[in-house]
Amino acid sequence: MTGLFTSVAEFLSRPYMFIAFMIAVPALGGVLVWLLRRFGAARFIVSLIFALSNLFFAASVYYGGGVNTSAPFLRALQLSFITTEFSAMCLFAAAVLFLFVSAYSLSYYKSGQGGVYMLYYFISLAMVNGALASDNIGMMLFFWEGLLCTLFGILLIGNLNNPRTAIKALAISGTADLFMMLGIVATIQAAGTVSISEMSSLPVTKMGALGCVMMLLGALGKAGAMPFHSWIPNAASDAPTPFLAAFPGSFEKILGIYLITRIFTDMYDITPGSAISVFVSIVGAVTLFLGVGMALVQKDMKRLLSYHAISQVGYMILGIGTALPVGIVGGTYHMLNNILYKSGLFIVAGAIEKRTKTTDLHNFHGIGRKMPATTACFIIFGLSIAGLPGTNGFFSKELIFDAALETNIVFYILALVGAFMTAASFLKLGGAAFFGRLRTPDGIDENEIREVNAGMLTPMCALAVLCLAFGVYNTYPIDTLIGKSLKIEESFSGWPHSSTLVIISCAVLAAAVANHIYGTRHNGGALKAVDHIHYAPGLKQVYAVAEAGYLDPYRWFMGAVNVFSAACTWIERGVSWIYDKAVPGIVNGVGNALRQYSNGSLSRYLITALVGLLALIAIFIAAIR
Amino acid sequence: MEMLINAIPYLFIAVPIVILIINNLLPASVTDKYGVRGGMILAVTNFAAAAVEFILLAVSGKSEVRFSIFWDYTEKISSNNGAYINAAYFRVNLITLFLMACIGIVMFASNLVAEETVTKKRGSYLNAIITLTLGMHGMLIVTDLFSLYVFLEIVGISSFVLISIFKTQKGLEGAFKYLAMSSFATILILFGLSFLFMTNESLTYESLKSLTIKPNGNGGAFLSYIALAALTAGFAIKAGAAPFHSWLPDAHQSADTSISILLSGIVIKIAGIYGLIVLTDLFSEVYAIRLSLAVIGVFTIMVGALLAMRQKHFKRICAYSSVSQMGYILLGLSAGSKLGLIGALYHIFSHAVFKSTLFTNAAALHERLHTLEIDEMGGLGNVMPTTSFSSIVAFLSTAGIPPFSGFWSKLLIVLALWGSGAKVLGGAALIISIFTAAYFLRLQKKVFFGVTNEKWRTVREVGGSILAGEVVLTAFTIIGGIAFPLVLLLLSGTGLM
Repeated sequence: MTGLFTSVAEFLSRPYMFIAFMIAVPALGGVLVWLLRRFGAARFIVSLIFALSNLFFAASVYYGGGVNTSAPFLRALQLSFITTEFSAMCLFAAAVLFLFVSAYSLSYYKSGQGGVYMLYYFISLAMVNGALASDNIGMMLFFWEGLLCTLFGILLIGNLNNPRTAIKALAISGTADLFMMLGIVATIQAAGTVSISEMSSLPVTKMGALGCVMMLLGALGKAGAMPFHSWIPNAASDAPTPFLAAFPGSFEKILGIYLITRIFTDMYDITPGSAISVFVSIVGAVTLFLGVGMALVQKDMKRLLSYHAISQVGYMILGIGTALPVGIVGGTYHMLNNILYKSGLFIVAGAIEKRTKTTDLHNFHGIGRKMPATTACFIIFGLSIAGLPGTNGFFSKELIFDAALETNIVFYILALVGAFMTAASFLKLGGAAFFGRLRTPDGIDENEIREVNAGMLTPMCALAVLCLAFGVYNTYPIDTLIGKSLKIEESFSGWPHSSTLVIISCAVLAAAVANHIYGTRHNGGALKAVDHIHYAPGLKQVYAVAEAGYLDPYRWFMGAVNVFSAACTWIERGVSWIYDKAVPGIVNGVGNALRQYSNGSLSRYLITALVGLLALIAIFIAAIR
Repeated sequence: MEMLINAIPYLFIAVPIVILIINNLLPASVTDKYGVRGGMILAVTNFAAAAVEFILLAVSGKSEVRFSIFWDYTEKISSNNGAYINAAYFRVNLITLFLMACIGIVMFASNLVAEETVTKKRGSYLNAIITLTLGMHGMLIVTDLFSLYVFLEIVGISSFVLISIFKTQKGLEGAFKYLAMSSFATILILFGLSFLFMTNESLTYESLKSLTIKPNGNGGAFLSYIALAALTAGFAIKAGAAPFHSWLPDAHQSADTSISILLSGIVIKIAGIYGLIVLTDLFSEVYAIRLSLAVIGVFTIMVGALLAMRQKHFKRICAYSSVSQMGYILLGLSAGSKLGLIGALYHIFSHAVFKSTLFTNAAALHERLHTLEIDEMGGLGNVMPTTSFSSIVAFLSTAGIPPFSGFWSKLLIVLALWGSGAKVLGGAALIISIFTAAYFLRLQKKVFFGVTNEKWRTVREVGGSILAGEVVLTAFTIIGGIAFPLVLLLLSGTGLM
């Protein structure tokens, strides 16, 4: 098997082969699926074939020793793809995820719908493959930006008359990409080369510092950390549900975390405790805390999950930002786990939406008994994300807690409170959506709420199984996948070293359960389980302000832009006044005055001439000196 | 060749006298029909002679040609051991020949218009024209200041007669104002001349050239200095420079259009500017003359332009425009360098041509519309295309836009100012040309551009000699602009630049 993989990897290393098979072929697949959009079965099979072939290539790249190819293009460019072990792993993860989510998407959409979406999705896969494997930093930027284009395209689907979310996403993500560009230019200056594989341990001074910070901002923006996050909840309402599973759930995270890890371990020489490390950790901690704080009070399932996605990115960034081996491993492992259970959760939300035609938790309640498989998967995902000991989420969280504690106790406390709120919000979500008395939305009959079809169920269950596997058998992901890729000798697999941390985490989980029970009893119903936090004095105002959108950096920026344009208009009016009113007024005024002076009277003329003569004599006398 | 050079100058005196004699010998019936043609012949021969002599003189490298009539001027010289002081002779040099060529052009344009507008008493008209021509030629060829003054008076009197030749109310009023201001000028010039004569005993150019005026010396020298001020003021009045300009618009507006062409095109220049050219040449060391010319020049440009912006009568706008352009010529003279002088001379030519064009257009408009109030006009470009086109060409030339001749003359003046150190003045002259463009654009917009006024729907293009005049003058503007670099080459080849 390894031999097959190795030979395929070598085949892909031939000139133009990588770009043909891992970039052009998925794009072509997208076109085919779009062409076949009316034929449900045909498009499913075609898409499955392309996804599986992509998975095969990705696996062979990972197991077969990587790809190393460089081919000229149009005489001036050099297309070089070099995969390190880490990027190959990310490639593999992306391929696995693509398989599941595309299967789910095709089941979500009836025949005839979703053609454009699948086209964009396949092209995005091509872009992700390209970005992960690129060696030329400029080419990576090209693929990076390509993802932005498909993102924008997808957000426009069905929203051509109201493109606000799409524009907001474009603006925010685009700004992050601008920082990225600047960072890339500075990095090229600092390193003296455009080849990523040749950039190693660049010093973080002057041009290097600029490049590092800017590229980090770009990667953070792509991953969806604060302040680049505010489009994701908007997209939760406006975009199709499969989009949420695909993009904020997986692709963007993979790319963003990949780049951050690359910067921290490979490209730049960043030590724990340095300014960059502290900066990234702070971003991570803030994102984590504020993200889950907003998630806690959401009453719409998709919005809740999207805020959680933002918060989970915070964990990853906090972990990697500490620049400690335990943190980097924890953050990267958390990314792998996250794409498993986050995509799974979005698929669950999609399943519910398909049956109840809504995701607003006010409208339905307790459909767990009607959709048992979905509920079971949800329980697995929920426990993983909350970090129950034994789940994959628990292991990755513990590694991150360890790193956070080593860095600064404030980070640790924030992470703990975050874990508390994560658990509380999932208890709320589960309790409201799945458990309790059944209540269907208006217009939907009880008998229509049944389990979803196999097309959706299979990816969901597969992801759940992988979640469990990564939890139970965590040596494989931690040591083999991540540790080997990042060349970290220390083994972090198995039960966490520090039992104190484990006890504290369990205590936090218990507190969350207690809070849930108290809230349910006190406020009446699982949906209101955290209302006592939501409407607590002090927090009530903060939440009100945040919900109204006043804490959205995008809004501040647009406000500043409006102020600037108002100032420009004001200046423009002033200048126009000078040209249109002031100057002609003066000229005409003087001209009129002179005209009235020359009234035809000869005596006046002669006197004026006399005065002129005297003035002339005065000039002559003055010129004597 | 030598003979030709020495012979042609006599034509400048002979041809006008011959035509004068013929005009008065022929019966009134003939002269009333063909009188203006005689003027045209005079103009054409004038121009041809001047042009040929100019080229010959430039090529031959001599600076001037001396000649005399009825007496031999070389007598006095031989008795003075070869000195030219106090000898009486006429001379033509390149400057005067150039100005004579300009006289020819303007005279021709004026007569083309007169063919249509002067409908009676053409014989008398021709007599007055010839007198004017003789006066101008005389001013240009004499070699002492008093003779200059005499011919200046002849020019003045001929102008008064021409302005009021049809004895209209307006004509008489305009002529009278001109007469009054001219008298003031006469007083000043005579005053100046007498003080100069007091201190120098001779008014010939030669002797005045070798005179140096030292105002710090005794009382006599100071009086001579003030005499120069009086002379400058006198010639400035004749040139129509501010604040002495007030007669000019009234005279132009009341005179017949063909006379306006003459006045604006050449008379104010020969009478006024040429006098100042002579002054700056003779007394080049007196800084005050140049300084006062610069001050007057800038003031004139501004006043002329500001006043022109608010006028409502076509010819009045053109008259104020003449005032303004005189300012540019004065600035060119004030630079004190050869380049400045050449710039001023070329601007005289440019201005002669484009002002004549504009006045010809005024004549055309008057012929067809019988009014010259611009508020009543509108959109005439659609019905009178040739007039409109020539007007636009004249406007662009005035504004100093390449490739027309006005651009070159303005450029030379500004370059001369810049080169002589008066950089601020050069810059100011450039910026003030915005006003020049402004008032003419206003004129164009009100008269020619836009939708044709209802009243003038049936108006046709003007015909006959006025049209011919417009075309010829427009051609001169365009050719003068495009061909000017050749002239520059010629001048640098002959060492003048």
